[in-house]
Amino acid sequence: MVNTACSNNNVNILVCGIGGQGVVLAGKIISRAAFESGMDIKTSEVHGMSQRGGSVSTHIRYGEKIYSPIIPGNQATILLSFDIYETARFAPDFAGEETVIISSGCGKIPSWTPKCQTDIYTVSGFLETNFKFLNLINDKKIARDLGNIKVSNIVLIGLLSVFTQISEEIWINAIKKNVPKKTVDININAFLTGKKNYANKIF
Amino acid sequence: MDKTNFGKHSSLLTGNESIALGANAAGVNVAVGYPGTPSSEILPFLAKICKEDTAVNWSINEKTALEIAIGASIGYKRSMFTTKHVGLNVASDPLLTVALTGVRGGLVIITADDPGMHSSQNEQDNRFYAKFAKIPMLEPSDGEECFDFAKSAFDISEKFDTPVIIRTTTRISHSRSILSAPVPISASSLDFNKGGSLTCAENPHLNKPYKKDIEKFVMVPVYARKRHKTTIERLKYLIDFSNNSGMNEIEYRSRKFGIITSGISYQYAKETAPFASFLKLSFSYPVPDILVKEFIKNVETVVVIEELEPFIQNEIASMGIGIKGKEYFPRDGELNPDIVFQGLVAAGFLYNFGKNSKSGTQIQTQSHSQNKISIPPRLPVLCSGCPHTSVFYALKKLKVPVMGDIGCYTLGAMPPLNAMDSCISMGLAFGAAQGLSLTKSSGKKTVGILGDSTFFHSGITSLIDAKYNNSNFTAIILDNATTAMTGGQDHPGTGKNLSVSQSISNKIDIKKIIEGIGIDEAYIIDPYDYIETFNILKKALNSDNLNVVITNRPCVLYPKKLDLGKKFKIVDGCNGCDLCVQTGCPSILMSSAVNASNDKRIPFIDDSCIGCSICKDICVFNFIEEVK
Repeated sequence: MVNTACSNNNVNILVCGIGGQGVVLAGKIISRAAFESGMDIKTSEVHGMSQRGGSVSTHIRYGEKIYSPIIPGNQATILLSFDIYETARFAPDFAGEETVIISSGCGKIPSWTPKCQTDIYTVSGFLETNFKFLNLINDKKIARDLGNIKVSNIVLIGLLSVFTQISEEIWINAIKKNVPKKTVDININAFLTGKKNYANKIF
Repeated sequence: MDKTNFGKHSSLLTGNESIALGANAAGVNVAVGYPGTPSSEILPFLAKICKEDTAVNWSINEKTALEIAIGASIGYKRSMFTTKHVGLNVASDPLLTVALTGVRGGLVIITADDPGMHSSQNEQDNRFYAKFAKIPMLEPSDGEECFDFAKSAFDISEKFDTPVIIRTTTRISHSRSILSAPVPISASSLDFNKGGSLTCAENPHLNKPYKKDIEKFVMVPVYARKRHKTTIERLKYLIDFSNNSGMNEIEYRSRKFGIITSGISYQYAKETAPFASFLKLSFSYPVPDILVKEFIKNVETVVVIEELEPFIQNEIASMGIGIKGKEYFPRDGELNPDIVFQGLVAAGFLYNFGKNSKSGTQIQTQSHSQNKISIPPRLPVLCSGCPHTSVFYALKKLKVPVMGDIGCYTLGAMPPLNAMDSCISMGLAFGAAQGLSLTKSSGKKTVGILGDSTFFHSGITSLIDAKYNNSNFTAIILDNATTAMTGGQDHPGTGKNLSVSQSISNKIDIKKIIEGIGIDEAYIIDPYDYIETFNILKKALNSDNLNVVITNRPCVLYPKKLDLGKKFKIVDGCNGCDLCVQTGCPSILMSSAVNASNDKRIPFIDDSCIGCSICKDICVFNFIEEVK
């Protein structure tokens, strides 16, 4: 794949995972935060059949002026992934040398594909060899320790926030607007934990 | 076109939401459609923001929906019909004749195409419908244009006495971008809005009392011949509008390289070749001949960039102008910035410009894509606890030919179930089942299978036909009480709808329809009871009659996510026989543990299990137990 000529000030975030894991919701939170920061923004998400447990991605691009809602090849600034197999699927096409990869260290392999036995260690080894700025996180454990495994995505978004210019206040507002009222506190806690843990390098 | 300053009234919205807002700003009075990706979100969003007297409703199918919109237009009201690309085929009968009659109130047709087939059975290019029907077409390239075009389409419709098509694609419908126009207060509380309000337009020519106009609306040959002449005459005025309205515009930059494009392709081209001159077609049918000729005269090399078919390219070729496009860009699938880049290199745009230009467009090749790893494909699957699972599992065991249809249950054709043999058009199942059973080629009784929403859409007619023609297949209706694949929309079987009539129950009972047709042998089964499901299907297939099996469990996602409050586990002793894995249930995963004879891996059930218990019935060795 080739690098197209485009403005390099734009931030390109690719969110990927499995349909039903909350890729669309994470995309909404990140877009909301970028939007509130006053930048031009375009996103592209997938609905319909692929959402039924398939491989899904949301593209988010923001900056001074955005044309294409799809991220050009190897130009993701950040790749956020909720499943390590999906990280390995999307990274070769969308990540470049400088791309920050924030990925769950956990992965779900469909059991009825016995022919392909690429195990999780091979996958993490591949990612470590090829991508300098790789962060594999045990997000599920952190979320479980916080009291709800469902907030694992927000832990990863907390870590992602470190690599953006968007203020903590804007992030927290974006989370508040997009999660159920009852779960606002635990989600904010998850965000802050993700952010703080990066600062302390305890991953 | 460049908008870098956003006012405090801006919102971040999808193309579909922006279309709804545009239609609302135009004072749309009746908006109808049938759900279909990527068009499904327009009507629900419009229902949330519209005035109280606006009727926004799901219809039984696209043909009926367009006919409702036509009736509203005849009644001097602005009306809109939304559909996915293939849905316009269903509505093409009224479309091609309302093109002759013209309109009273503005009539706008939104067709959302799906290049790349994210969630569709084909990737037809609906721009041909505009040409086929001789009616104007608008193609927005972002959310801002979705709003503007949806608003002005009603004016264009009334001005030229014609239905108007707005054609979007998945990347327009499902992309979010910034809308700087104020939105109604009812929308300002929604996501992504910074405030602002708007009042709706009132058209003085509308809201008149009904009157007859037989020569305009009764298309018997004597009047239709006249109207056809009017339609052809209308095209001339539309070409004039296409040239002069300002909707199609030329942006001159490099006089060496020019691009003619429309819709999302404009964004990819602009991203990839910002140095080029552009003729951007927003009013893309009829094509503006004068602008095209002017652009080609003033720019040295011009290419057409368009997704799917060479529509613009052929329109220009028919003016007697040779122009290239599909020589460099594929005719199938979606475009993206990389494909556009490669096409422009092949067309000599980027290479030449990169070499000769001072601004130095850099072309780098990346080496990263060489580093790949084999990751198994992750195909979409039926959800954990999906009530369709047991029916397909049983059909697989029964080894019968299954004529299938379009919905979530199409996933029953995917491995490991592999239990559906066709997916071609909405409502195909019972017609194809009748046809296949006429051939006797399988030596077995045929099954036709479809969902509740598809049954109402167009399954009813072919079931009546089957009874009428003494056919004898087994018709299965997977009734999960929603239109699941497109996001859980209501239909006649749920009795609810989007608009003001939401609280009125008009629930239509499928069982009574079957009785009304005169099919005596009908079974209602609980698909969570696999043993019963298997036995009744076997009984139905052993009978020589035309019979119907209806399942009765709701969708696990819509209207709300279900959890039956039970969990199951695979207990010690499991010999790795694979029976439960063959359900394709996403909660059943393979562990690294092996069985006693050390030759098979043992599966486990993870915590995404919602407790449907189908796998417990399927494990004949009783190694699956409820977690107490």
